[in-house]
Amino acid sequence: MAIGKTGEGSAQTAVQRPSRSKLRREIARHRSVYLLALIPLVYYIIFKYVPIWNAQIAFKDFMAVRGVLGSEWIGLENFRTFVNSFYFWSLIRNTVMYSVGKLLISLPLSIILAICIYECTRPVLRKVVQTLAYLPHFLSWVIMYGILLALLAPGDGVVNDIIKLFGGNAVDFLSNVHTFPWVVLFSDAWKEMGWSAIIFIAALMGIDVSLFEAAMVEGASSWQRVRYITLPAILPVIVTVLILKLGTILDAGFNQIFMLYSPQVYSVGDIIDTWVYRQGLLEFEFGLATAVGLFKGVFGMILVLFANWLSRKLTESSLF
Amino acid sequence: MAESNARQKHLKPQMQNKKVRLTAADHTFNVIVNLFMVLIFIIILIPVWSTITLSFRPNDYLGSNLEGMFLPPWEWSTDAYTALLGNDGFLDAFINSFKILIGGVFCALVLTIPMAYVLSVQSLPGRKVINLIVIIPYVFNVGMIPTYLLVRDVGLMNNLAAVFIPGAISTYNCIIMRQFFVGIPNELKESARIDGCSELQVLFRIILPLSKAIVMTIGLYYGVSFWNDFFHAMLYLSDNQPLPILLRNILLASGMNEYVEVNAFGNAPVSAIKAASVFMSAIPMIVAYPFIQKYFTKGTLLGSVKG
Repeated sequence: MAIGKTGEGSAQTAVQRPSRSKLRREIARHRSVYLLALIPLVYYIIFKYVPIWNAQIAFKDFMAVRGVLGSEWIGLENFRTFVNSFYFWSLIRNTVMYSVGKLLISLPLSIILAICIYECTRPVLRKVVQTLAYLPHFLSWVIMYGILLALLAPGDGVVNDIIKLFGGNAVDFLSNVHTFPWVVLFSDAWKEMGWSAIIFIAALMGIDVSLFEAAMVEGASSWQRVRYITLPAILPVIVTVLILKLGTILDAGFNQIFMLYSPQVYSVGDIIDTWVYRQGLLEFEFGLATAVGLFKGVFGMILVLFANWLSRKLTESSLF
Repeated sequence: MAESNARQKHLKPQMQNKKVRLTAADHTFNVIVNLFMVLIFIIILIPVWSTITLSFRPNDYLGSNLEGMFLPPWEWSTDAYTALLGNDGFLDAFINSFKILIGGVFCALVLTIPMAYVLSVQSLPGRKVINLIVIIPYVFNVGMIPTYLLVRDVGLMNNLAAVFIPGAISTYNCIIMRQFFVGIPNELKESARIDGCSELQVLFRIILPLSKAIVMTIGLYYGVSFWNDFFHAMLYLSDNQPLPILLRNILLASGMNEYVEVNAFGNAPVSAIKAASVFMSAIPMIVAYPFIQKYFTKGTLLGSVKG
């Protein structure tokens, strides 16, 4: 045992000595690669690391005239203001509610859509639905807002026309606190359902056809094939998607909420990001807004790292 | 050969295997699947159709918008479109958006491709450090205010470049692209190096020609995000506004006069002009979509997160 160890050790030192010059040779050989990395790395330092440096104003009483460095340190004051404020819990609740709600609605929908696209017996229908279902993903939330206006406007929206046709009263969907969350959840499902289905369709395409043939020889019905072959085949993908979503649970969709909300629905519509925007760039409370952004950033980081670790543990695949 | 063919074509095994008889349960299954597909088709189509028909609404139309969805095309009016196309503000916004699109995609690809390639060179000493430099800001996102201060400090305010420069490398896109580059057989790169290619030549002569799908896909992702961006434009630009900002102003105005001088948009109904500007903003996406669709499905599958 002891002999084996010393043998290993001497072998290591023997390897190490030439490896240092080998390293130098390797670095020299990759000179041009480093050169290639230079401009992107400078970009990273300026546009990704300077903001991290700027984030120190979360601990400062930031004044624009004094700049980032000149402003006075005030410790955790900004964080204390945020945690003790009345909006703290409502912001967290809205943020988590929207991300979990979106997941609960669009995940089952996109799985069903993927299975239906895969199983569809009519090629033309399949092609048309597939193409049309991906399309809304490419439209901006400004365009989506325009579409929702044509659909939901209280005076002349199509949905309210239908409600009035059946004798109901027109509803202002976008400025009613009861309907607003549903508009957010379902408009997101409408926009992203097809796009989220792609990853499941990809998993379905990878299923070994002989499984289906064997199942049919054994007399399995279509339902049984879905239950025992298709669903188990995409289960690992579902787990991966769930885990990755866990990492971004504090991102509830800034662009969407920002376009759709209005002061009447702040109580149910405001999420962390929209609040940071208003506080920072409309009220000029840069320090407080940055503190809240940093708060979100730290929790987001913990969640992403945890999700990545969990993903590596459970599915042996991870983002980085 | 026959098997791989069958795998590609597999969407209904019993089509290939005619001996299997469909049971009643199978028929119900097929009917439900097809009905669901039709339902999805209708659900996606209705909002789009109501917007399109609204944009062609004539000024003297009296019925409800629900009835308007079934108005025959020969009663449609193009007033809203002629008004929009005749408006200088709209054309300027279109040109600004186009500049942001071209500049943005160019900058993004010029920065992302080398970064992704560098991260894909497995033998590179210090690759882990570079990887860390790229990952840290991705995982630790400090929010919008610090970036806003940076853009202000470097003097990009009210410059079209401010819209795309801060987001010119998306780490996520970079990781997808790296994943693709890693998948290219090492022997190809090595043999090129032995033949005397520099790394730059390896990138341009070997890697890029093999990576058309992923470059198109990532370029598309960037293009869509720059074309659709309204938030950064709103933060950083006070004039020279791109299309999404103009569209947002049009949509938020309750009457057209609120944001442009009276009669600037002719005599089309306000809601028709709103719908027409929505449709006009979406047209470039809709036109480009079929051409790039084959690339993104291919590229998304190739570069999917499973690594």
